[in-house]
Amino acid sequence: MANKIDEIREIARKLMEEETVERVIGYGKADFTEEMTPVFITSPEEVEKLLFNEKSNMMLAKYLLNYKDSKTGIVAKPCDTRAIASYLSEDMLKRDNVVIIGINDCPGMTDNTACNECEVRNPVLSDYTVGEEGEVPELKLDKTLEEMSTAERKEYFVDQFSRCMRCYACRQACYVCYCEECFVDSNQPRWVGQGTNPEDNFTYHLMRAMHMAGRCINCGACEVACPEDIDVRALTAHLSRYAEEIYNFKSGMDPQAKTLLSDYNPDDSQPGFID
Amino acid sequence: MSIKTANNKEFEEFLKKLSREYLLYAPVLNEKDDKVVFEPINEDNISKITLGCQADVPLKECILPYNEKLSIEENPDKKIVILGARACDIEAVRVIDDVFLDEPVDPYYQDRRDKTIIIGYSCAKMEPTCFCDTVGIDPVEHDSAQAYLYKEGEKYFLKVMDEELESLFTSLPGGNEEELAELIDNRRNGMADSNFEIDLPVPVPEAAAFAASCWEKIAEKCLGCGVCTYYCPTCYCFGFFWQDKDGEDKWRAWDSCMFSLYTKHASGHNPRNSKDKRYRQRVMHKFSYHPENYGKLACVGCGRCIKRCPVHLDIRSALKLVENELKEEGGK
Repeated sequence: MANKIDEIREIARKLMEEETVERVIGYGKADFTEEMTPVFITSPEEVEKLLFNEKSNMMLAKYLLNYKDSKTGIVAKPCDTRAIASYLSEDMLKRDNVVIIGINDCPGMTDNTACNECEVRNPVLSDYTVGEEGEVPELKLDKTLEEMSTAERKEYFVDQFSRCMRCYACRQACYVCYCEECFVDSNQPRWVGQGTNPEDNFTYHLMRAMHMAGRCINCGACEVACPEDIDVRALTAHLSRYAEEIYNFKSGMDPQAKTLLSDYNPDDSQPGFID
Repeated sequence: MSIKTANNKEFEEFLKKLSREYLLYAPVLNEKDDKVVFEPINEDNISKITLGCQADVPLKECILPYNEKLSIEENPDKKIVILGARACDIEAVRVIDDVFLDEPVDPYYQDRRDKTIIIGYSCAKMEPTCFCDTVGIDPVEHDSAQAYLYKEGEKYFLKVMDEELESLFTSLPGGNEEELAELIDNRRNGMADSNFEIDLPVPVPEAAAFAASCWEKIAEKCLGCGVCTYYCPTCYCFGFFWQDKDGEDKWRAWDSCMFSLYTKHASGHNPRNSKDKRYRQRVMHKFSYHPENYGKLACVGCGRCIKRCPVHLDIRSALKLVENELKEEGGK
């Protein structure tokens, strides 16, 4: 990991010194605790702040949307590079405005069970890479939910979402959730009630999931962000698994690819996402 | 004032008695998500009461529920006892009292507060996110509680400040005042400082801090979720809503100044249209507006906003940047 940090700093310093980018977004240590936190480097002197370790579990790609019109360097785990590829295919970013410092051989992050299921351990696109490419370790796919009956699954989710405080950390951390106005923030009309009524909580999570089909990259940012440790990832991760099984589509692998929902073929299989 | 003691067995008996006669809230370890939360205590969860660490969720939900039907009849009939409140959370109740018991008094809150007895719990150590000492709170003891609990090894001490409450504790054996005073002294002397110092006047000067240019930098990493406000023991903002078409079934639920909808006008204009303005509001409310209006800080240094923030945005770092900028300005 130490080598990776040196490489990250070297690349970031070069980008800042040559004024290739206006800022580099990466990870650094929080001021008062041992936690990792996103840092925004704007001068060559600041690159020493950059670090990388297993606690670098926050999704940084979403910050790029705040700087669409200027050039930004970003320290990107493979899942961040997939988010960037998706943004490019959804026309949300200009490729020329992003300089990607990709992390090879991602070790997986703490507090993120999605990493156990991740088979993309090297960047899908990058301008620089740090470390050597790595192999995919043995994956641990949790099939508990698939093996449940529909009624059991419903019970599971009702129980999970009953703890939801509707802080929307999952939405804010999710790279897909970039709508200018989220349906929960609309009050004319109001689609979802205020407070934490279990039905409204369920509506929020279900409606959010329905916007994720063929877009969720199963990065686990929602799970990492949730202060109540709710299994928020389960619904969206299943949708991406189905998208792969049914349409052989894996989001965020190719910036040139058409998105799942903007592409149509008369021969497409048409099972419902929910059976 | 009287001093009582208890061993584990006596303490458990005491808790059982409290839970029968009162609506007793105490921090309970929830095994499903490994969190310590204030919950109503009954025979089933009495063994899960966890006093050894800070509760993950502040006790404000006991006196200001997240979802609340606005009707006195909906409030509990029984008196409420909140046991295990630490000094930070006790101070936080005073902050919420400032707002809800000030004119015009909130009748639903007042009714619940009138029924509430708080039994404090003395802290023995600071966590890395704690900074109550910086905001002037003594973690060992807070004089706003009606009684205070101190645990040392297997022994409990109870100090009863409120004479009317003495009958609650009659079943417990008396304790030695000097022994307890020594325990308190040892704790105060042995407690490590939080190592966070802030050199800003209180209230923080409104005009200068509001105009500071550092807010954008401070909030750059902020995701814009409501975690810091929902886990804050003093954040009390709420919204009203109606559950029926006739407008009789009126409710309120927590709201958060970190959401853009919070300040959005009917015209569509939003005076706090970016996350730096929203984050500034939160910090200024704690350190400038509330102190200006009520004479005390509205941050109690519990550190939950730091611990729970998905990107580890630290209010201490924010205050330091504001302090540095105001000092530079002052030096010009």
